[in-house]
Amino acid sequence: MISRTNAVKAVVLVLSMLVLNICMAWRTDCQTSVGRFEINGYAQGTTYHIVYYAHKNVILRRQTDSLLSRLDSSVSLYLPSSLICRFNQSDKGITVDEPFRVLISKALEINKATDGAVDVTVKSLVDAWGFGVKKPAAPPGDEKIKSILKNVGYDKIWLQGNFLHKKYADVQIDLNGIAQGYSADLLAALLERSHIENYVVEIGGELRIKGNKPDKEPFKIGIEAIDGNDMAPSPLRKVIAPGSGAVTTSGNYRKYVEANGKKLSHIINPQTGYPAINEMISVTVWAEDGITADGYDNGFMVMGLKKTLRFLEKRKDMAAYIIYQTDDGTVADTVTKEFKGYDIH
Amino acid sequence: MERRTFVKNTGLLAGGLLLNKAGLFAKGAGRVINIGIIGCGDRGKGIMRVIDEFPEKYNIVAICDVLDMRLTEAQKFAKKHQYSQYKDHRALLKNAQLDAVIVAVPLHMHYPVAVDVLKAGKHLYLEKTMTYNVQQALDLVKLAESLPKQVVQIGHQYRYSPLYYRVKEMISKGYLGKVSQVDCRWDRNANWRRPVPDASLERQINWRMYKEYSGGLVAELLSHQIDFINWAFDTHPTEFLATGGIDVFKDGRETFDNVQVMLRYPEQNMVGNFGATCGNSRDGYLFKIKGTKGTVSLLTDKGMFYPEKAQQKEKGVVDGVTGATKITWDKDGGTPILPDATKDGTWYALNDFYDKIGSGSLPDSNIYTGAKTAICVHLANQALYKNEIVHWKKEYLVLDRDNS
Repeated sequence: MISRTNAVKAVVLVLSMLVLNICMAWRTDCQTSVGRFEINGYAQGTTYHIVYYAHKNVILRRQTDSLLSRLDSSVSLYLPSSLICRFNQSDKGITVDEPFRVLISKALEINKATDGAVDVTVKSLVDAWGFGVKKPAAPPGDEKIKSILKNVGYDKIWLQGNFLHKKYADVQIDLNGIAQGYSADLLAALLERSHIENYVVEIGGELRIKGNKPDKEPFKIGIEAIDGNDMAPSPLRKVIAPGSGAVTTSGNYRKYVEANGKKLSHIINPQTGYPAINEMISVTVWAEDGITADGYDNGFMVMGLKKTLRFLEKRKDMAAYIIYQTDDGTVADTVTKEFKGYDIH
Repeated sequence: MERRTFVKNTGLLAGGLLLNKAGLFAKGAGRVINIGIIGCGDRGKGIMRVIDEFPEKYNIVAICDVLDMRLTEAQKFAKKHQYSQYKDHRALLKNAQLDAVIVAVPLHMHYPVAVDVLKAGKHLYLEKTMTYNVQQALDLVKLAESLPKQVVQIGHQYRYSPLYYRVKEMISKGYLGKVSQVDCRWDRNANWRRPVPDASLERQINWRMYKEYSGGLVAELLSHQIDFINWAFDTHPTEFLATGGIDVFKDGRETFDNVQVMLRYPEQNMVGNFGATCGNSRDGYLFKIKGTKGTVSLLTDKGMFYPEKAQQKEKGVVDGVTGATKITWDKDGGTPILPDATKDGTWYALNDFYDKIGSGSLPDSNIYTGAKTAICVHLANQALYKNEIVHWKKEYLVLDRDNS
């Protein structure tokens, strides 16, 4: 039992501390007048997180949700009514909207730059190997692959204004490899239209970053461990501070199918029709925007270590952190010279 | 100590069985097993439907039921098999072709029929719950131990699916952290009766309604979840509290249609809540295992893992994380334990029974785990019907009597 006087004293103490706290909060607010705001949501079958610094919460979750669901209605393979599903079902093609057109133009540009290592017409192969929406009962045979390859290739689709043509009715496209990076770009543009200059946007592991935290501390980005264990995540493999731009990762450690006791990567080589088999485990790409970083990362997985390093030597606008398997089976990593903020941990 | 000695002993015993049996299973699993089915009710017929999928493993040579109508219904299954029909299981057991027998009869008949099967020298797949009471469980263990050439598997089939093996592994690897609570339900909004064509057959067909034959909802449904917890944590409860009644269908039944059982697992510092009602179907099958690091939520063929929020925030040292796209996390922050739904547990359990007949090794759902669960069910029913707190007794340690 505490005495009545003591109880009164305690109440007074608590109240005065509360008042002090409010005053301090007010002072901090007046001095910096910048707050940290966070949006956590769910879209495109994964989660997204936005952190931004501003005077007030100028962007709300319903805005980001509706932006992402508009993009879904255009390029999501999981929505039967989406434009991409209508294109895949069409005989000769359809009129597409602006985001769709932007994604296709960029994908065709990357296809050319990577000599076909990135190809959005890969969808029928992805489905045949069991990585699409519908799962086949068994892996495809050589004959099946050969017949599917007739519908794969950059020359099977072309844009004429806003009309996306297809050469054959069976040509199928999949923009999953590039659309998430582009979603991060669209969210970044939404923030920047409200004059937000300091933010991190993350959707499904693909990021857009700009500016710093209020104390000029750079944003820190973790690169996931490669054990693919979502139940008990291992500590981050690296922490980097890449500055403004986009960071995306493609890896084969989380998504694969097993056939005849072998793990098969979900990344399909569009030229051979078979899952990419090489030393690559994961590649984290830095570029100025998400559509570029995400557009290239799967391509690097297909190209393999040597070709990727040679390719990036000539590019000032892109960099990569690569985790790969060495000849003796151990895991190693390497980073290209344009990668900024790599050595902080 | 009790638990540890039990585990150690089971391990030794399994090894011993393997050695002893090496020569006796020379035929290997490469041949078709001739199988008999005693009991052609819903469960027996369900098993026949699954066996139809494995013509290269099983050949049904004999079926048995005391009711003619059940034998007629069973003819829809096993059409490719040439089998004899029996009304008396002792006559079936004289069929010299038989290698193994599946027993799916009302609970009170599990023990006497199982004894006859084992004494006839056949491998045994005995439906759950293993026996009607504690004494029968202990006696059946003794009998099975005296006949080491014969494989005995108990029909807790759900835990044979890869999903439940994965959950057991997640628990042992500590992914859930310290587990303190288990919540289970198995509900329906229906009277749990089967149609009776002739009033004189009421007790035979609706045996689940009568205490003389049945352990009620605890034996028929909750035993699966009780068994999984025993197996996954390598433990058993020691205190049994329960309440319930005939609350929804006052139709002359004796077994309760609304039950709640609370079990205390002192070695695990864990509480298990197991409930079933015939008066609501919203939850249906619910199975949640709750630890300091996360929750596992299971259906029979699908499961989700929900990490605790505090765990997710450990990543807070960074402002974002990049990685290969995660397999869908749902809106509640959960991730699927396996990417696709599993098949029915019976499919995996019967495949494994075939392998165990080949290898002679101890099944995962064996005479010992079956006995532990049967004892748990009996003690829970004692608590339920006598309205008292019941305790696990030391004499059940007879299960590890070889440990001297």
